[in-house]
Amino acid sequence: MTDLDELLPAIQAGDAEAFGRWMVAAEPSLRRSLRGFATQVDTEAVLQEGLLRVWQVAPRVTTDGQGNSLLRLAHTIVRNAALDEARRARTLRETPSDDLDPAAVRVHTPDPFLRELIAACFEALPPTPKKLLTMRLTAAGGTHDKVLARRAKKKLNTFLQAITRAKKLLGQCLEGKGVSLEAS
Amino acid sequence: MTDDQLTELATSAYRARDRRTGRVQASPAWRDLDHAGREALYAHTVVSRALEAALDDDGQSSTVRAVLARIRGG
Repeated sequence: MTDLDELLPAIQAGDAEAFGRWMVAAEPSLRRSLRGFATQVDTEAVLQEGLLRVWQVAPRVTTDGQGNSLLRLAHTIVRNAALDEARRARTLRETPSDDLDPAAVRVHTPDPFLRELIAACFEALPPTPKKLLTMRLTAAGGTHDKVLARRAKKKLNTFLQAITRAKKLLGQCLEGKGVSLEAS
Repeated sequence: MTDDQLTELATSAYRARDRRTGRVQASPAWRDLDHAGREALYAHTVVSRALEAALDDDGQSSTVRAVLARIRGG
């Protein structure tokens, strides 16, 4: 799907699953747009706040026939959320152009081959890092790592080290298969 | 806590909400990172979300799942 506005009627009808599919395709583009704010705001918090605002305003959005109306609006919302937060925290150092770069609005399409490679590398992880990373993945941002560490009967530092190690091993496995996931 | 541990902590999609405004709060670990640490965190998060999405049946990263949980009243 290259025009995410196909999901707009369902989103406007309150279908959270449709919004989930929209976010899967929109998140990478929106996160990239926050790169310039990475030292000024917590981009994860800003992105989540921005996505919640997109969900709230979506029922009032009208398409303009150019495609990806909601995604283009989301770029503006997320950027404004970053500016608001940087001003509030007094960390704002620069104000990037107000103009939305059309090239920045990109729909993410999952790569089935890459997914298979990542799944294979995940399965090859040693038991403990795999178990702890699975706990983090299952929690999906709903539980603080302190709680996850307690459940795993680990100290927080040990838990975090294991997660980092698991990701490094995943990265090394993927590099061995000629894949790099470095941020672009 | 080391910078690596702070980075991993802030890479989690877990974010508290302001009880009064409902606004998603910045991670305290993010605040403890310096300029270079925050740059590294951004890059680490991009990679982490790509891994999470690839390992999820619906292609959802922990960010997407966290937002959906909040929409559904979590």
